[in-house]
Amino acid sequence: MNSREIILQRIRDNLGPRTPEAPPPVPTVWPRTQVDRGTLARRFVEELQAVHGEAILCPSWDAARQDFQRLVRDAGWKQGLVLDRPEAWRLASDISDLEVHRVPEDPPPRDIEPMAVSVLQADWLLADTGSSVIICNYPGERLACYLPPACVIVATADKLREHLPAAWEEMVPLARQPERRGEFVIITGPSRTADIEKILILGVHGPKRLVVYVIGE
Amino acid sequence: MTAVHSQQVSLRGAAFWKAENKGLAEPHGSKALGESAERSSKHNRQIAMAIPYWEEWREAAHQIKRYAIFHLDDLLVQFEKNLTARGCIVLWAKDAEEANQHLLNIVKKHNVKTVVKSKSMVSEEMEVNHVLASVGVKALETDLGEYLVQLAGQRPTHIVTPALHLSASDVGRLFAEKLGEPFTSEHEKLTDIARRHLREEYLRADMGISGCNFGLADTGAICIVENEGNAGLSISAPPVHVALIGIEKVIPSIDYLPQFLNLLARSGTGQKLTTYTHIIHGATPGRTFYVILIDNGRTNVLKDPAARTALFCIRCGACLNACPVYRRVGGWAYGWVYPGPIGSILTPHLVGFDQAGKLPFASSLCGACGEVCPVKIDIPHQLVHLRHRAVNTKSPVRSPLERLIWNAWSWAMGGPLRYRLTMGFVRIGVRLAKFLPFHPAQLGAWTRGRDLPLVPPTTFRSWWRRYGKRFQQPSG
Repeated sequence: MNSREIILQRIRDNLGPRTPEAPPPVPTVWPRTQVDRGTLARRFVEELQAVHGEAILCPSWDAARQDFQRLVRDAGWKQGLVLDRPEAWRLASDISDLEVHRVPEDPPPRDIEPMAVSVLQADWLLADTGSSVIICNYPGERLACYLPPACVIVATADKLREHLPAAWEEMVPLARQPERRGEFVIITGPSRTADIEKILILGVHGPKRLVVYVIGE
Repeated sequence: MTAVHSQQVSLRGAAFWKAENKGLAEPHGSKALGESAERSSKHNRQIAMAIPYWEEWREAAHQIKRYAIFHLDDLLVQFEKNLTARGCIVLWAKDAEEANQHLLNIVKKHNVKTVVKSKSMVSEEMEVNHVLASVGVKALETDLGEYLVQLAGQRPTHIVTPALHLSASDVGRLFAEKLGEPFTSEHEKLTDIARRHLREEYLRADMGISGCNFGLADTGAICIVENEGNAGLSISAPPVHVALIGIEKVIPSIDYLPQFLNLLARSGTGQKLTTYTHIIHGATPGRTFYVILIDNGRTNVLKDPAARTALFCIRCGACLNACPVYRRVGGWAYGWVYPGPIGSILTPHLVGFDQAGKLPFASSLCGACGEVCPVKIDIPHQLVHLRHRAVNTKSPVRSPLERLIWNAWSWAMGGPLRYRLTMGFVRIGVRLAKFLPFHPAQLGAWTRGRDLPLVPPTTFRSWWRRYGKRFQQPSG
């Protein structure tokens, strides 16, 4: 018997005979309250700020681009890495003083390291936790989430969901696709640690700064 | 700073003697750890109390885990099938030795020279860093706390916050000594130093090693939660990713995951969600992804129906923070990978009662651990159950002296004449004991802080013979 068979046999022997049973029902983690989008947006801002992220509500793309231009100037970002998604490019292209690069599918990590900021596009925003859910299909997209010292995420307001379980029903069918590879990453604030004397410090490995633009009424 | 290498850690019962427990010898260790653990426990408790559905969540999680453990064989087969379908290479390991052999084969096959590693308790069981070092591979811990204890040559003292016993000054001295950095005790600067040093390691690593918080049987995905971003970098920067997964980490469906994410973050670090939640669907194009499914004693737990719920543990560390014994003695006292109450019920199964049979006795049975457990593991009753097992199987609890004492006690309590005779000897013995120039060696810890009780001038039996009649109810 190989190790696989040995382990499975040990489990069967030690558990003994079992009667068939159905899996437990999927619990309702949070009830849906059908709040309006404005409330969701405000809740998202509060929650993201509570975990030291920055959320910026913009009524239009023009307003978002103007604000992003200001952000780039204030932060002194010179090089940016932009996810190959339409909304990320809509925010980050033609911003003065910022040289932008499309995220390659599988770049050497060293090529990404000099980038001052990454611009990502969220597939869902979770209001109750201030989280952004990003589907990363390629290694380069995954690296763009963690390697640059600042991370800007953009999403339209229709991507707002009340909480994780509300987004889950849309995420799960995608996760079940047989051809699905890569990663769903849920980002809730900038990288943090409290490993030294339980004092909170931002940016221990991942981005020190996380800014989320929510666009639309 | 005291170095406690894994090889030096003894499992001959818990090292609750100060002389044996290097953790207690840390200048700030005991106090810092106790205060931090207590603060975390209070904070997390407040977070939980604010959730109206907290008890329903716990019960639901308990039922899901119960189903998962009772169908572990089927779920593992399903998990393996779906992982393989997503381009992942699945390996099985009966024990730590075989898991390490798999790891060494992977290292050889991919010509790995450097490894970055995110936090994984099962890798501590395997002592991965030592094994890789033995073949000349540099394996670096990337979680800040784990990095600090690795630099200091120590073991983690807590599941979630491994360097809880080190002060900022300790860390500053450590960085000065090991990394040649100017001394500082400022938290932000210390963190920046770690970032700078580890950044280069991510960029040149040939392989990343991670653990896994949940294996999703129905989609063949694994879920890893973290706050620092080190796991994200460790699994996405190097061309090879190896996930070390204890077989009990499998849950039946992705549908259940939000339940556990909510519980784990709140119970572990008092957050609504951890900063990063990674749900990884097999190998990304151009990368190689291995999963090693590891038993290493877990199937022993299944043998004992009363102990199976120990495998429900999601490694949040809540029971450690709540435990008054852990707060006082720290993680090293428990002698192996898993400290605190969960260690006391898990370790004897994983390494054997002959080595760790004393651990279930490292508890006041106050019940705090059971109250905070997010998956409702009845830890206090498990501790009692394991104490019963420990005294009835070959273990350090059954020392010849202790056996002799309990056998003598059993004989003395076996009849009124024997009882009277014994108590007569005890009365004489207690009177004579005060003339001893030392405390009896085996009772030293007990007698050091206590006086022997005064022997009353008369026994209860003789007092009752003389005065008892006046308390008797008149019959009829």
